[in-house]
Amino acid sequence: MRKLLAGIAVLGLIAGVGAASAQQKLTIGVSIPAADHGWTGGVVFHATEEAKALEKQYPGLKVIVKTSPDGAAQANALEDLTTQGIDALVVLPHNPDELTDPIRKVKSKGAFITVVDRALRDRSIEDLYVAGNNPELGRVAAAYVKEKLGGKGDIVVIRGLPIPIDEQRVNAFNEGIKGSDIKVIDSQFGNWSRDDAFKVMQDFLTKHAKIDAVWCQDDDMAVAVLEAIKQAKRTDIKFVVGGAGMKDMVKKVMDGDPMVPVDVLYSPSMVAVAMDVTAAGLVGHIPVRGSYILNATLVTKENAKDFYFKDSPF
Amino acid sequence: MNEPIQSVRSSLWSRVDLGAVAPFAALAALLLLGTLVSPRFMSVDNLSNVLTRSAFIATIAVGATFVITAGGLDLSVGSMAAFVAGIMILFLNGGLIENPVLLIAFGMILALFVGALCGLANGLTTTLGRIEPFIVTLGTMGIFRSLVTWLAQGGSIVIKSSELRSAYRPVYFGDVFGAPIPIFVILGVAAIGAFILYRTAYGRHVTAVGSNEEVARYSGINVTRVRTITFVLQGLCVAIAVIVYVPRLGSTTSTTGLLWELQAITAVVIGGTRLRGGVGRIWGTIAGALILEVIGNIMVLSDLVSEYLIGAVQGAIIVIAMLAQRSLSRTR
Amino acid sequence: MPACLSPPRPAGLALVNIAVGEETPSPALEAFGLSKSFGPTEVLSDISLAFARGEVHAIVGENGAGKSTLMKLLSGHLEPTKGALSLGGERIVLRGPVDAERRGIVLVHQEILLAPHLTIAQNMFLGRELRRGATLDDRAMNRRAIEAMRALGVEIAPNIAVERLSIAQRQLAQIARALIAPHEIVIFDEPTASLTPVETDALHRRILEMKAKGVAILYISHRLNEVKAIADRVTVLRDGKWIATRPASALEPVDMARLMVGRDLLNLYPDRSPRPSGTPVLEVADFNAPGYAAGASFALRKGEILGFAGLIGAGRTELFEALLGLRAGRGEIKVGGRTIRLHNARDGMNAGIVYLTEDRKGKGLLLQENLTVNLTLAALDRFSNGPLIDRAREAKALDEAIVDFDIRLGDKNRLAGELSGGNQQKLLLAKMMLLNPQIVVIDEPTRGIDIGAKQQVYRFIAALCAQGKSVVVISSEMGELIGLCHRILIMRAGRIVGEVEGEAMTEDEIVVHATGVGASAAAASTARRA
Repeated sequence: MRKLLAGIAVLGLIAGVGAASAQQKLTIGVSIPAADHGWTGGVVFHATEEAKALEKQYPGLKVIVKTSPDGAAQANALEDLTTQGIDALVVLPHNPDELTDPIRKVKSKGAFITVVDRALRDRSIEDLYVAGNNPELGRVAAAYVKEKLGGKGDIVVIRGLPIPIDEQRVNAFNEGIKGSDIKVIDSQFGNWSRDDAFKVMQDFLTKHAKIDAVWCQDDDMAVAVLEAIKQAKRTDIKFVVGGAGMKDMVKKVMDGDPMVPVDVLYSPSMVAVAMDVTAAGLVGHIPVRGSYILNATLVTKENAKDFYFKDSPF
Repeated sequence: MNEPIQSVRSSLWSRVDLGAVAPFAALAALLLLGTLVSPRFMSVDNLSNVLTRSAFIATIAVGATFVITAGGLDLSVGSMAAFVAGIMILFLNGGLIENPVLLIAFGMILALFVGALCGLANGLTTTLGRIEPFIVTLGTMGIFRSLVTWLAQGGSIVIKSSELRSAYRPVYFGDVFGAPIPIFVILGVAAIGAFILYRTAYGRHVTAVGSNEEVARYSGINVTRVRTITFVLQGLCVAIAVIVYVPRLGSTTSTTGLLWELQAITAVVIGGTRLRGGVGRIWGTIAGALILEVIGNIMVLSDLVSEYLIGAVQGAIIVIAMLAQRSLSRTR
Repeated sequence: MPACLSPPRPAGLALVNIAVGEETPSPALEAFGLSKSFGPTEVLSDISLAFARGEVHAIVGENGAGKSTLMKLLSGHLEPTKGALSLGGERIVLRGPVDAERRGIVLVHQEILLAPHLTIAQNMFLGRELRRGATLDDRAMNRRAIEAMRALGVEIAPNIAVERLSIAQRQLAQIARALIAPHEIVIFDEPTASLTPVETDALHRRILEMKAKGVAILYISHRLNEVKAIADRVTVLRDGKWIATRPASALEPVDMARLMVGRDLLNLYPDRSPRPSGTPVLEVADFNAPGYAAGASFALRKGEILGFAGLIGAGRTELFEALLGLRAGRGEIKVGGRTIRLHNARDGMNAGIVYLTEDRKGKGLLLQENLTVNLTLAALDRFSNGPLIDRAREAKALDEAIVDFDIRLGDKNRLAGELSGGNQQKLLLAKMMLLNPQIVVIDEPTRGIDIGAKQQVYRFIAALCAQGKSVVVISSEMGELIGLCHRILIMRAGRIVGEVEGEAMTEDEIVVHATGVGASAAAASTARRA
């Protein structure tokens, strides 16, 4: 069966795009984490929206979106997708290290592999790599903080979970403020969770009499940080820099909230970009191999409306 | 011989149950540690922060004390909290009632109702279905979690009206006589819980069922009813926690309440309740919840421990607290 | 098979002449001035005894006389405060029960210590599993389990989980488990507490076999008739002190009882009231407890004491548990002429019927709770104002119960599990009497309790009937049924197969009905009658 499908796909490719699109059957499998926090919620939203849009745009194209709560479940999902027969796989792996081999197996069946956000250990497996720029996210935030504070001040950092992405962001941030008089006076993990970030910020406020700014790299946590500051009625904190591009935060930037002057993009919509490019490559034979790194754009009051998606859950 | 004197003394001594005192001793030791580690630890603001945010786990853990004392277990409380919060916020956003205060009041009643219903579902499935509560609540844990993710469409459920938010906000952030409202909630829930468990026939039945189900049955106690009601009480406690939780951030996400079940169970066990049932200690549970929160607070306030090792230190302190408690109970 | 005996050794040490100075066979185990104190209380003082090979040596005494402590000292479960032991003439110090077992001293516990979810064979070889290479040799273990049980007169599949066995079968399994270890000295602690006469006979045959092979046997029992029948010598303890050691032939049960309590014990059983002839208060017709009892019909009159005799597994307990709604059952029950249905214990209590379980520790009392909690548990609504428990009233009820039922304890705050068997039974009685029942079903009323407490329980049952209440007594001790009841029904294999009353109430008659075989079993039991 799988061979047969592959054969049809090859025939379709030979026949050419325009003529084939009526009867050509192509399948893209999309494997992403389940919505376990805001950002992945956004990923799921964008993936399902994009799947609908692509199926409308390319008749004959089928897009299967599978969400998995953890790495092991995702490995199973990959096997299931392979069994159904897919021509291309768009995958945002839970933990790229442990999913490298399962993805290699999918590739060995002849599927086109697009990896999103988290690069595999063996980069040769990826036909296409689409990601936000993690170090850039740290750098952009650092540059903004440095400029806004005039190169001098005490800041606290709330980190995510201890995984490579977090490390890349934080290292780049520290690199970015190097040489200035900006000091990171404290740093703790907030686990990208609102509740944990709230606690950590409360304790930071207790511990430090003067804080100039907060960098928390994630908008979910920024919501909690703002709430904790509000409760403590502290006026020394000049602003909070989050990250990702959550719509509530983008809205605050747009409305000119002094506590949230900017946001740094790391949009879950990157999965849609990846699916779009993959589909274009598969159906339209546009050479799409390589790496697509999306900029960690600084969202300011001026450009905020371009990044405000009213219907997104994130 | 002075035998009578001795017997009086020994009966007085046996009335002081060291096992019941242990969690408070551990809490006192932690407070001392905190004071030594950070000068800001003993500040009114910090202590009230810690007390206030322990409200969720403490409240839920009071319910868990009932379930566990009766020999059950509820793993679904964290997901249930997220689910109840989701329903409540959606109701508030529905805006069926003009008056915000009235709307919030009805939202609270709805939350209690939904919580009780979730608990009833857990209870009836375990008792009438004769399935281990561990499995049942593991199942409902997944169900509630998925439902809230679905309700939120993967994102967060937020109170939309800012007017409503500011009307509801004081329930978490407000204070009475200088003490935050959540502290009164903890005290109230614990006092009612202690009253039910220690002073009423129902509470006695809960202990009996957990101590030996057969003895309870042979004594004419309706074991099914007693067990089911513990789950309903647990649901109500979750709802009360939610009522205090929602005004804090005005939102719930699919990660709300993640691992709360384990924290609640830990608080209950640190407090001296027997995990296999038959011995329940409400005030110990409150001490347990405070211990968990104080440990976290001390870790952040001090610069002693690397942020990477906080989990290890927390785990070690919990194990040490349990060991201390065990050895104290054994000397009895 | 099980007993792996070393060849008899010559007696090494001078005999300690403890009793009347008659000829004593060579001692296997000797105790010299054993004393044991817990804190300031001395529970056993200065006991010197010698236990000979090929001899059954019974130890009797009331609860608290120190029998169990002595057994624990002899089997390494406790260390003596003073005194010493010698084994085969050599001074030894036992470092725990494992050490004792290694030296061939085996204690058969009174409490059933088996893992309920494991099978008979798995329990029997727990911690000493037979292996074949790296894997368990289940076949061999099952085979030896069958043999070990058969030696005790029980034919049972070895792969049945212990939880599915009756209490008597569990006790036999426990005995079998102890006896598969190599042994030279075997201590039985109340081995027949839950056995019926036929099983007791089988066990006694087994003991006689062991005796013939030269094993020294220590036998603790409350059943003085049994002691008389099986023992060669009898030692009486009272209040932790040695009172007497005499040949069993020179000691009648009544003498033993007198030595045990230190005074004359006349009339163990109270005077029997004339058999009541009034209307039945309880009528049961064609009642079934699926899997246990079928077609049971009987009536109980006001003021009557009705006995239920039978072998273990005859379905007596299960019949009454089903009647009371404690397990599945079907059939007609009339109380005071009205047909009722009992779905659970509470329904029975509301109808004025209570059931006192044979399994006091498992189903009767909360061992980890204090006396008050246990006392009021079934009648808590009488001690409540609305939902609130009235603790003062509870405390008063406990004071009354302690007086009314003569519950003896040092401290009212003690846990139920710390009471002696007799006091536990009294507490259970007090608990159920708070419900003011008209019909009382008592299952094994005197199992594991001492003779003084037994007498009190009997008097209490007689008093109930004098008050116009009706009592059903289920018992494996035929003597007490005969001494106490107006009428006895006998069950066999789930059916009521016989009824005896008046002069016809003899052990022979009951055994004939209970076993379905006539003379042989009857003769065996006659031999044991005092």
